[in-house]
Amino acid sequence: MKKFWKRLSALWHRDQLERDLEDELSFHLAMKASETGDAPSAHRSFGNATAFKESCRELWLFSTLDSLSQDVRYAARTLRRSPLVTGVAIVALALGIGINTTVFTVIGSALRFDMGVDRIDRVVTLMPGETASTSRPQPTPDIWTLRREVKTIASLAAYRFTPVNLSDSHALPERCSNVQMTASGWAMVKPKPALGRGFVPADELPSAAPAVLLSYRVWRRRYGGDASILNQTVRVDDVPRTVIGVMPPGAQFPEDADIWTPLTITDALAASSQRGLLIFGRLAEGATLVAARAEVDAVARRVYPNRAGGHFVNVSPFLQMIGVYDSRALLIAVMFAVGFVLLIVCADVANLLLARAAARSREIAVRIAIGAGRARVIRQLLIESVMLAAAGGIGGWLVAVPTLRWFDGMTEGGHRPSWIHFSMDTRAFLYLAGVSIGAGIIFGLAPALQLARTDVNSAIKDGGRSAEGGRRGRRLSGILVAGQMALCVVLLAGAGLMIHSTVNLYAAPMGFDARNVVKMRISLSETKYPSPAAALAFQQTLKSQIAAIPGVVQVALASNLPLAGSRPFRVECEGQSPSQWDGRSPSVVRQPSPPTMSAALLVDENYFRTLQIPVEQGRTFTRDDDAAVVVNQAFAARFWPGEPAIGKRLRPVSGDAAHAWLTVAGVVHDVEQDLFQPLAHTALVYLPESSQPLRDSFVIARTSAPPQALVEPFRRAVQALDENLPAQDAAALSNFIEERRLNITSFEKLFTLFATVALLLASIGLYAVIAHAVSRRTQEIGIRMAMGGARRDIFSLVLKQGMRHVAYGFLAGLPLAFALTRVLKRLLVGVSPADPATFLAVALVLGAAGALGCAIPARRAVRVDPLTALRHE
Amino acid sequence: MGINRSGGELVQGTLDMLILKTLLRGPMHGYGIAQSIQSASDEVLRVEEGSLYPALHRLELDGFIDAEWGQSENHRRAKFYRLTPRGRKQLAREAGHWRQLTTAIARIMEAS
Repeated sequence: MKKFWKRLSALWHRDQLERDLEDELSFHLAMKASETGDAPSAHRSFGNATAFKESCRELWLFSTLDSLSQDVRYAARTLRRSPLVTGVAIVALALGIGINTTVFTVIGSALRFDMGVDRIDRVVTLMPGETASTSRPQPTPDIWTLRREVKTIASLAAYRFTPVNLSDSHALPERCSNVQMTASGWAMVKPKPALGRGFVPADELPSAAPAVLLSYRVWRRRYGGDASILNQTVRVDDVPRTVIGVMPPGAQFPEDADIWTPLTITDALAASSQRGLLIFGRLAEGATLVAARAEVDAVARRVYPNRAGGHFVNVSPFLQMIGVYDSRALLIAVMFAVGFVLLIVCADVANLLLARAAARSREIAVRIAIGAGRARVIRQLLIESVMLAAAGGIGGWLVAVPTLRWFDGMTEGGHRPSWIHFSMDTRAFLYLAGVSIGAGIIFGLAPALQLARTDVNSAIKDGGRSAEGGRRGRRLSGILVAGQMALCVVLLAGAGLMIHSTVNLYAAPMGFDARNVVKMRISLSETKYPSPAAALAFQQTLKSQIAAIPGVVQVALASNLPLAGSRPFRVECEGQSPSQWDGRSPSVVRQPSPPTMSAALLVDENYFRTLQIPVEQGRTFTRDDDAAVVVNQAFAARFWPGEPAIGKRLRPVSGDAAHAWLTVAGVVHDVEQDLFQPLAHTALVYLPESSQPLRDSFVIARTSAPPQALVEPFRRAVQALDENLPAQDAAALSNFIEERRLNITSFEKLFTLFATVALLLASIGLYAVIAHAVSRRTQEIGIRMAMGGARRDIFSLVLKQGMRHVAYGFLAGLPLAFALTRVLKRLLVGVSPADPATFLAVALVLGAAGALGCAIPARRAVRVDPLTALRHE
Repeated sequence: MGINRSGGELVQGTLDMLILKTLLRGPMHGYGIAQSIQSASDEVLRVEEGSLYPALHRLELDGFIDAEWGQSENHRRAKFYRLTPRGRKQLAREAGHWRQLTTAIARIMEAS
C-alpha cells in the first residue's frame, strides 16, 4: 500500500523523478571519472545510461499504464498517418454499429416484457383445451374448484377484456378498452396508482359501489390530467361508476387497457368458462409448468370423469398471449441479420488492416528487432483496432440516436405495448460499447497475429514483401471475403423471400374492390340496447342516415372486415359427397357430415354489392331471408366437391345442440379474409346479420367521393343518433388494409435494406482484396504481358481469382441460409423457405455483385504497362 | 550486464543482500556502495551500474532502505541510502537463508 503511494507521488512529481535519476547517475559517472582520471573510459564502462534510467523509471511508475498511454499515442499517430483507410473504416464501423445498436434497442425493448409484474415468466394462463378428435372446446372446472384443488398455481385470478363506451360531461363519448379483473389479479400488479387507490377485495363484493380506475393516458387525454376527477362519476357502458384512482403511465397488466373495473365472479360467470373469462395465476414456489399442467389435468379429470383423452385445460405461459412473444424468433432473426451486417463490416475493416499489414511488416520487424516483445506488438496493434472501433462506436452513437428518435416518433401512439421505449438507455449504451470493443478485437486480432509472426530477418531484408507472411495474409483475407459472401447469402435469401412474399401478397386477388370504401366500427352497449331487436333497429336507422349522406352509394354491415379474420363456426352439412365417406355405401349419401370447424361472417344483405364481391352462382340473401345463407367458393369446394352447392343445407352446431337448417342460396367469389394466408381461402359461410344482430359490427359504405372526406360526416351521423356512442376507427378501407399488411411489408423493407448494405459492403471488401492482389502482382502481370500474354487471359485470371471467393462463400452460405430462413416462415406468403427461384436469384445477384467487385481491379490489371511494371521495383 | 542478469533470482537476491549488508555500516551513496562491495570482496565481485541502480530503487520502493539527498565528500549533490528497520529484518532473513543455502551446497560439494 505504501508502495502505491510512493509510486503515486512519483507520478505526480514526475519531473523531479527524472531530474533525480539524471543527477544520481551523473554523480556516479563523475565519481568514477575522477577516480580513474579517464572520463571516456569511465563512460564506456558505465554502459547505456538511458537503459538504466528506463529500468529505474519502470520501477517507479505504473509501467503498464505508462506504456499503455504510449501505445495509445502511437496508435493515434499511426491512424492519422493513413487518413483514407482510417476514415473508411470509421464510417463503415459507424454504420454497422449504429444500425446494430438501433435494432438491439428496438428489439431488446420489445422483448423485455416489462409489464409491471414480478417474474412475468412464472405467470400462466388456464384456457379450455381442445381434444384432437372433436376440436370442440371442453367444459372446464370453474375457478372455485381450481382455486381449491390446484396447489402448483398460487393465487388464481381472472379477467376479461371488454370494449366499453366511456361517457361523461367532459368530452365526446369514446370507445375504451376495459379490463375487468379480480382483486387477486390486482395483487400481482406492482405499480401503485399514481393517484387515488387501486382495487381491493372489498370492491368485488356485489354490494360495493361501482368503481373505475383510469389509465394514465385516458386521464391526460380526456380529463386533461386534472386530479379533481377523483371521486367523480363517469358512465361506463351507461353504468355510473366512481373514479377511485389513476394508474401510472405504462400500466400494462394484464392488457393494455384504457380503464379497469373490478370483476365479480358470479356462479353463472364461473360456470361458463367461455364467456371471455381468462383464468391466470402464478406458479407456486418451486412448481414447474409441467407439474402445473399435470396437476390441473388431474383435477379436471376428477371433475369430469367421463371425458375422453386430451387436455381439458391448457396451462401455458401468460406471455404467449402477447403478439411480440410469438414473433420472438422473427425479431431474433432480425437481430442476427444486423449482426451479420456488422460482421461483414468487421471483415471489411480486417481486410483493410491486413492489406496495410503487408506494408507495415517492415515497421513491425524493426520494432521487434529493437526489443519489443511479440505480446507488446499484438497489444499495440489491438489498441489500434480498438481505437478505430471506438471511433466507429462514437459514430454509431451519432447514427443510432437520431434513428431511434425517428423510429420512436413513427411508432408512437400505435398499438405499441407501453414497456417498449425506443431510447438510448444505459443498456443500449453498454451494448454499444461492448459491440464496439468486441468488433475492434474481432477485426484487429487477425491482422495483429499475422503481423506479430513477422520474420524479422526476411521482413527487413526484402522491404516488407515477405513472401511467407504475405501468403498467409492473403489466405486469411480470402477466407474473410468468402465469409462475407456467405453472410450475404443469408441476408439476400431472407430479403428475396420477403420480396417474393410481398409480390405474392399484392398480386393475390383480394376478391373485392377496396377503393372508395369507408369503414367504421360501432359497439352497442347492453345497457342502452338491451335486446337484439333494439340493436337491429338502431343499426337500420344508422344505415339509412349514412346512406343519406351525399357521396355515399351504398351502406352495409358486417361482423368482420376483409383481411381481418372471421368467426369460428361449427357446421354440419347435409349431403356430403360419398368421396368424403370412405368405406360407406352410397345409401348414406344424404346423411349429414359430422360437425366440423369452419368459419363464418355475419353480414347484411347489402354487403356483397357494397364490396363488389362477385356472385358466382345463385343469389345473395335478401333482408327477410333468415333461412338462406351464402357460402364462398372454398366452402362449396370443401363440402360439396363436384356438386352444385345451391339448395344444399347446413346448420350451425354449438355445444351439443344443433340449430335449424339453413339453405345455401348462392356462392360468392373467395375474398381474402386471413391476413397471413392470402392465397389459401378459408371456407366461409355468410350468415344474415338480421338472424343474430351484432352489438359489435362494422359499417361499410361505398362512396363516390374520396373516402377520407366522408369520415367526418360519418362521425356526425353517429353522434346525431346517440351522443354516447363513439364512431371507432372511421377510415378508408384501403388505408386499413395497408396498415394490416404493414407487418409483412415492413419486414420486407428491413431485410432488403440490410441485404443491400451487406452486399455493398461485401463487394467493397472483395474489391479491396482483389485490387490489393492485383497491385502486388503488377510485376508478374507485366512479365506475362511482356511474354505475350493476352489481355483477355489476364482479365479472366484476376476475375477467376475473385469469383472463387464468391463461389466458396455461396456454398458456405447456402446451408446457413436454409437453416435461418425457416424462421421467416410465419411471414412468407405463397413461398416456401427453400424456394428454388429465390435461391437462384440470390446466386445471380451475388455473382453479379462479385463480378463487379472483381471487374474493376481486373480492368486495371489489363491496363498495366509492361515497361512500367517491370521498372516498378 | 553484470551479476544481476547472469544468474537469475538467486543472484539478484544476493545483490540486494550485499547492498543491505554494506549499508549496515552507515548511509552511503550508490557509487560508494559499489566501491565498498568491490573492495570488501577483494575485487572478485564487480557491481555494474546497470544492476545497482535498479536494485537500489527497488529496495527503496519496498521500504528496506531510505534515500536522502546530501553532500558528498567532494561537495557534490548525491543521493545517500540508509538502512531502515524493515531493511535490517530483511537482511537477517536473507543472511539466514544464504547461510542455509551455502552450507547445503558445501555439503554436496564435499561429499565425494
